[in-house]
Amino acid sequence: MANAEWERLKEALRKPATPEAMAEAAQRFREYERVKRLSGKPGSKPTLVSLGFRKDYPTQIAVRDIPGELERNPAFFEQMRKIVGED
Amino acid sequence: MLALPLHDLPTRSASGFLIRYVVPRTGPPQLVGPLDNKALFSNLAFGDVVIGVGHGEPNRFYGYRNQMLLDVSSIPDVRSKVVVLISCQTARQLGPALIKAGAESYIGFLEDLVWVMDADSAANPWADKFAGSAMMPVVHCVNTILDGKVMADAFAVMTTEMLGNAAVEEDDLIASCLRFNAKNASLLGNPMARVKARPKVAFPLPPPPLFPFMP
Repeated sequence: MANAEWERLKEALRKPATPEAMAEAAQRFREYERVKRLSGKPGSKPTLVSLGFRKDYPTQIAVRDIPGELERNPAFFEQMRKIVGED
Repeated sequence: MLALPLHDLPTRSASGFLIRYVVPRTGPPQLVGPLDNKALFSNLAFGDVVIGVGHGEPNRFYGYRNQMLLDVSSIPDVRSKVVVLISCQTARQLGPALIKAGAESYIGFLEDLVWVMDADSAANPWADKFAGSAMMPVVHCVNTILDGKVMADAFAVMTTEMLGNAAVEEDDLIASCLRFNAKNASLLGNPMARVKARPKVAFPLPPPPLFPFMP
């Protein structure tokens, strides 16, 4: 069900984890979220989780907080690249 | 043996689905919540199947409040058992170590097991529609094993259902997580291994009480 915003996010995540690329990915995720509004569904708090142990990125993060983490955390950027950018 | 911690959102989400849809088919030991600790895990007979939810890394698997339950350097007696670890990255080292120690077969993941859950569903995680697309394939995998079918069938049920859910999922993030999990799922050991079939349970049973969520 990919849309244009999602494809732009994937492209941004395929770049090396420079501050510029991280900021771009964060912005692309915000644009995707504006269209999809997963985090805006009433009565829910969508949260990306994993069963990783002692990672350099959070193992539970609200979807609405993903852009901020993408912008400041290279390890999270790399993890999102694996999940989304390489999809 | 079932190991089902409930101490944070991801363990509560994954364990919640197994508590709802798998626990009623199994007998003790069922290490749920605080019972999922090192002392009990190490001292109980395993039966013919070990199903564990928990945080993980390549060489270790953790229980309630991240007590280390399994480590490549101290594998308990897993001879002739099948092992399913709903965890992260244990297929890299721990899974092969379990097979080397005599486990008949193992299902786990090479990378992080990732999914989107609804944090507002922590009180009844089995009703979480976001998490269901990722966790019901795991439930069906485990129940296929408990039906007495071979591990290869259970593995195919899980990965096929994850990819099928991804194909119809409206949210791209959830779909990417499903494909990532399916791609990194791993079956080691004897794919034809099977365990004694357990009686089927007519669902839905009334939801069980859960330990309160205290983040």
